Amino acid sequence: MAVNAAPSGYLERPRPSGLADVIEIILDKGIVIDAYVRVSLIGIELITIDARIVIASVDTYLRFAEAVNRLNIADDGSQGLPELMETVTQGGAKSKTKGALEGVKEKLPGGGGDDDDKGTRRKRTTSSRSRSRSSGDDE
Amino acid sequence: MSEVHVHGVTHAAERAAIEEAGARAVVHGELAAVVGDAAPDTRAADLARRHWKVLEAIAATATVLPVRFGTVMAGDAAVADELLAPDHDALRARLERFEGTVQLTVKGTYDEAALMRSIVEGSPEIARLRGRVRGLSEAAGHFDRIRLGEMVAGAVEQARQQDAARLLEHLDAHAIDRRVEPATGTDGAVNAAFLVERDRTAAFGRALDAAAKELAGRVELRVIGPLPPYSFASEEAAAWA
Repeated sequence: MAVNAAPSGYLERPRPSGLADVIEIILDKGIVIDAYVRVSLIGIELITIDARIVIASVDTYLRFAEAVNRLNIADDGSQGLPELMETVTQGGAKSKTKGALEGVKEKLPGGGGDDDDKGTRRKRTTSSRSRSRSSGDDE
Repeated sequence: MSEVHVHGVTHAAERAAIEEAGARAVVHGELAAVVGDAAPDTRAADLARRHWKVLEAIAATATVLPVRFGTVMAGDAAVADELLAPDHDALRARLERFEGTVQLTVKGTYDEAALMRSIVEGSPEIARLRGRVRGLSEAAGHFDRIRLGEMVAGAVEQARQQDAARLLEHLDAHAIDRRVEPATGTDGAVNAAFLVERDRTAAFGRALDAAAKELAGRVELRVIGPLPPYSFASEEAAAWA
């Protein structure tokens, strides 16, 4: 203990949080002030749903199938795996396979379309919104 | 009278921290609400960023209860009279419960190639189906491909659970509490919020380093925080309401 008082690399260099992280952490969390009006957050909700929805869909299955097919594995699976792994990890596969989530993230900061017209009005939609949330979480 | 966003609630003594964070304090008794002016037509994404920045800045030094993002009240007077006054003691008790703690959210992302490789190698059935699909044209192999992907998705889910367990094994001892939340995206490995004593964050960080070492090449970890106790204050709210 005395010897490695080295501080954590992670906490020393926290990554800046992207908007997708921010939304995932703050949306639907925190104290609810009963019966108070809410901003309409429709654009933001869609973004989160996008991020959550993808796993159990045919599109995802096809993407996973493509990802395993892309791997360069000898069919007997017996040779040279560690080296191959290096190559695949450092090569192009990584950038391709991040697709699904990155797409969601990148849509956000620029914003533009979905989320900019709601502003702070449209309040009375709020209670239906919070109700729909719990069912959304289960999906 | 102009509407305000209510970002959080903290001790009245934290007024300076609130103002430094770029927000205003509405003080009543021992409590201060952290508020910002609700400019009409602000984009929801910008509101989210502002809410986050304000609370993150305050949480760097003080305990603050996050109020659910998007909460708007009629004005400063309403915040004092309808929130802080009637719920003063309950809010203070909740604030005290989180005193000296911060939330650290840990997210892991798979190196998808490494994950896929381990899945193919770990399942003869998937390896076999993969071999067959590769020999077929796109059209002829369509349904096999879907089936292969579905099996892979199941294996990914299993891997998530195992990798999350490995991570928690490292971190649980350093946290007061934690919530495991669904990992998002097809490459999400783990997403967990930890409630950590402020003066034990360094030890938590070292445990995280050890976990990262163990998962290296497979899962890339990152930590977000220190944050207000978003994932922990909400459950309290349900019980409180």
